[in-house]
Amino acid sequence: MIGYISRRVLATIPVMLIVAALVFSLLYFTPGDPAAIIAGHQASAEDLARIRTALGLDRPFLTRFGEWLWNVLHGDLGTSIFTNLPVSRLIGERLEPTISLMILTLVLSLMVAVPMGVIAAWKQGSLLDRAIMGFAVMGFSVPVFVVGYLLAYIFALQLEWLPVQGYTPLAQGFWPFLQHLILSSIALGTAYVALIARVTRATMLEVLSQDYVRTAKAKGLGQRAVLFVHALKNAAVPIVTVVGIGVAVLMGGAVVTESVFAIPGLGRLIVDAILRRDYPVIQGVVLLFSLTYVVVNLVVDLLYTVLDPRIRY
Amino acid sequence: MSVVTQTDPLSQTTAAPPLPDILPPPKQRGRIMRFYVGHPAIAIGGLLIGIMVLIAVCAPLLGTVDPTALAPAKRTRPPSALYWFGTDMLGRDVYSRVIYGTRVSIVVGGAVALLASAIGMLIGLISGFTRWLDPIIMRIMDGMMSIPSVLLAIALVAFTRGSIQNVIIAITLAEVPRVARLVRGVVLSLRDQPYVEAAVTAGSRTPMIIWRHIMPNTLAPMTVQATYICASAMITEAILSFIGAGTPTTTPSWGNIMAEGRALWQVKPYIVFFPAVFLSITVLAVNLLGDGLRDALDPRLAKRL
Repeated sequence: MIGYISRRVLATIPVMLIVAALVFSLLYFTPGDPAAIIAGHQASAEDLARIRTALGLDRPFLTRFGEWLWNVLHGDLGTSIFTNLPVSRLIGERLEPTISLMILTLVLSLMVAVPMGVIAAWKQGSLLDRAIMGFAVMGFSVPVFVVGYLLAYIFALQLEWLPVQGYTPLAQGFWPFLQHLILSSIALGTAYVALIARVTRATMLEVLSQDYVRTAKAKGLGQRAVLFVHALKNAAVPIVTVVGIGVAVLMGGAVVTESVFAIPGLGRLIVDAILRRDYPVIQGVVLLFSLTYVVVNLVVDLLYTVLDPRIRY
Repeated sequence: MSVVTQTDPLSQTTAAPPLPDILPPPKQRGRIMRFYVGHPAIAIGGLLIGIMVLIAVCAPLLGTVDPTALAPAKRTRPPSALYWFGTDMLGRDVYSRVIYGTRVSIVVGGAVALLASAIGMLIGLISGFTRWLDPIIMRIMDGMMSIPSVLLAIALVAFTRGSIQNVIIAITLAEVPRVARLVRGVVLSLRDQPYVEAAVTAGSRTPMIIWRHIMPNTLAPMTVQATYICASAMITEAILSFIGAGTPTTTPSWGNIMAEGRALWQVKPYIVFFPAVFLSITVLAVNLLGDGLRDALDPRLAKRL
């Protein structure tokens, strides 16, 4: 078991290195010249050359990558071109809203999506099943900002039940915190719920046709016990897999959701950075999101052995 | 030692009546109609996409005016008989902008689907047939897939200039790894099939084997995958334009119309509403087509998902 875990953890190191190299080369192979952006329009050729030397832009790729990686490993993601502040500090200030949004969305989505998938599979072919599957196709197709505006229009502007935009830190009380995040979580979670519900239904359909489910029914177990104890437990591996893969959907969606609901998180940070061409910030945020994604999927991999003791690599 | 004699079961069955020399030709039109009735998702999705393509092509003929014409005196008019979808804060006709915006989504969706399929197919074939390159290519693909695709596209566009070409390139690069993986999987599963081994033994050259034996088998999953890529490319384009990193504001696209309507959406929700409806319907149509094609082309997969 420990051998398996350490092998899996070690196996992610090359993936992380490749991700880091890709994120770094984004900036390296950019047609635009960071030195020209820093220097501004009126800079002379000598000025540009001086800035390039100062930033180390004239050195070879591998040297610069090695140095950058060394700094990243020490928590130094570079300095923002626009604000002149360390990127790691800018990211640190924006972490809480994004983490809160993602976790709330994850929890809400799982609470909704898994029962939806189970019910759809149980009542396969019924009107309820069709409605749930119809919702799943819609959920995939309606972009996150459309859902966001729709929800905000109905529940915040028309019904005035919830605040339209903004964010309140958890430190100022749980209720205001939840009030500000609930609409954005639902908007962000729609595509995620659709994805999970679809896979849950498909896996449950497969599991429900197995012999042990028939046995469980035959020995007189109640419907709920059959569905949630015997069937869902055995359907867990594909569901957990898609929950992990879907985190990419959440991360991409968070960028947009934060713009719609004016949440001061990492998504806002990267959008502002794009508009200002603040490359180190973009690089830092993308790197952080990607490495988190790798870790999430590592955790999913490790969960397999807990969920299904037969899995031993 | 005794010889076991077996009676051949085939010799005792009577032969089937011979088939007529010429079979009546199947009724073509009836078959096509039956196909659409049997696959409503393909019919509805295809029809909606057809309408959207038609709108994109005929945009100048649909009662539109210049989508970029400014009319500061007629700012933020609500929808009316004259301005069907109202006007935005620069007085531009939202109806015309939305209709012309169809072009961007259709072009981006189609181009990304084609390009990503072609490049991904090439990479997948190389990876599947070149044993020493395979681990290298696949690790790079794993790395690219570890960057959430929307973020990868955002980063790529942010590091270049915002233009439709760059948007297409960025989204294509973000989608390629998925296709490459798919094609490589098909290649690996087919490479050891007896009929491919037979072709190798018979002396067929690798390009011939790829063309005759491998490519036809990737066609069905690739078509389905390409449809999903098209849908996701349309959404990604809208996201990029919405956050101001995509299609330049001089070309109306559903994403940047919404981006411009964003500041006013609480008081003038229609500026955001109409492009949102068009975008959602189009993506829904493409996804419906994808689901329908998947069910029709790959019944095994349809049962699983």
